[in-house]
Amino acid sequence: MTYFFHICICFALVILQTTIMPYFSFLDKFYDLLSPFVVYLSLFRSTRESLPVILLFGFIMDNLSGGPFGLYLTTYLWLFIGVRWVVTYVDIRNSILFPFVVAAGVLIQNLMFIGAIMVLRPGSWFSSLAVKTISTQVFWAIFTGPIFLMLFSYLHKKFFRRMNEMFSKKASNV
Amino acid sequence: MVMIVGVIVLIAVNIIALSLSGRRDPSYYGPGGVGLSLIAPIQKIVTRSIGFAKDIWTHYFFLVMAAQQNDIYKKNLSQAREKDNHYKELELSNTRLRNLLNFQKTMTKQVLAAEVIGKDPSPWFKTVIIDKGSYDGVENGMAVVIPEGIAGQVTAASPRYAKVLLIIDHHSAVDALVQKTRARGIIKGGTEGQCVLKYVLRKHDVAVGDRVVSSGLDGVFPKGLAVGKVASVVRPSSGIFQEIRVTPFVDFETIEEVFVVLSSNN
Repeated sequence: MTYFFHICICFALVILQTTIMPYFSFLDKFYDLLSPFVVYLSLFRSTRESLPVILLFGFIMDNLSGGPFGLYLTTYLWLFIGVRWVVTYVDIRNSILFPFVVAAGVLIQNLMFIGAIMVLRPGSWFSSLAVKTISTQVFWAIFTGPIFLMLFSYLHKKFFRRMNEMFSKKASNV
Repeated sequence: MVMIVGVIVLIAVNIIALSLSGRRDPSYYGPGGVGLSLIAPIQKIVTRSIGFAKDIWTHYFFLVMAAQQNDIYKKNLSQAREKDNHYKELELSNTRLRNLLNFQKTMTKQVLAAEVIGKDPSPWFKTVIIDKGSYDGVENGMAVVIPEGIAGQVTAASPRYAKVLLIIDHHSAVDALVQKTRARGIIKGGTEGQCVLKYVLRKHDVAVGDRVVSSGLDGVFPKGLAVGKVASVVRPSSGIFQEIRVTPFVDFETIEEVFVVLSSNN
């Protein structure tokens, strides 16, 4: 049931960012919506719950994107590992720190993208446009990232409460 | 008997008095204005109050009715606007599809119309997803075009869908030539939705505004398809090539329908 929930959320996010958001030109430099979800998984869910979802959606995103295959998978995995590692030293599960955690996640993801592009295509660009794109994404992440984290947490709680109610009703009927 | 006489006399006196008073001015008999002054203001207040209450009552109902009618009109207007928008959208869609149809007729190779259903999740890469795949005959490497010009190339095809690498992506390359001077080069993805025409020798005279078309030498894009127009030309003091920026004819932000150029034998 947990996997089902996570997969539904990821599907909704992928559809949102590839099909609905392109209609709004002001969102054309919005960050990858799966980044806050990976951050959420690494902060609040177990590795057993998170890893299959990250692998699956990293693979799906690689299929959808024009980037080198495995780039999304790699960035999600490193993002997950990085946040997990930081959590062992610093407690960043405080909601005040959420904007910075998501922004850092988005920044790391973008730097990995650029790094991959530069490694795979030597002599590639790191123009002012790239800086602008990253800044815009980080800016968006600071303001909207915490909302996504809280939304995931809220949906998770609501979903499992509903499921528990449903199953307890069924059990009592039996 | 006395009583009957008394009543008759009283009636007679009354009739006489009434007939006399009927012939004179009413004010002759006393200060009739006093009563009027006393009662009339109250009457006025009461009358006005009633009028006011009546007005409120009537207007309230009127307003309620007007509000209800307003709601109905608003709803109708909103429906009409929605319909208008729908018709406009249909009209635009119709125009677009007509253009595509006309373009399809001009193509010598067999083409397949497809709809763009998704865009790349990352701003670093420029791809779109179309709703036709290998079941429809789409294969990797096929050219994707629209009436305005070249859009891209199929890079992955699933049975029902395919991924198209747009010419503005950094990984894209199209063999092209400047239509006027026939100077050959390679169109590669640039920044800000533009392309770069690489490997054009310095000896060729290329000017801003020149059209760039596909050369057909890459074996992917048919010859002569529009790519874009030259936006800027820089001839560096050293080196053998010019730096040419090309603005594509295709608006990749609004791209909705495309044609996949199927192999000629399909």
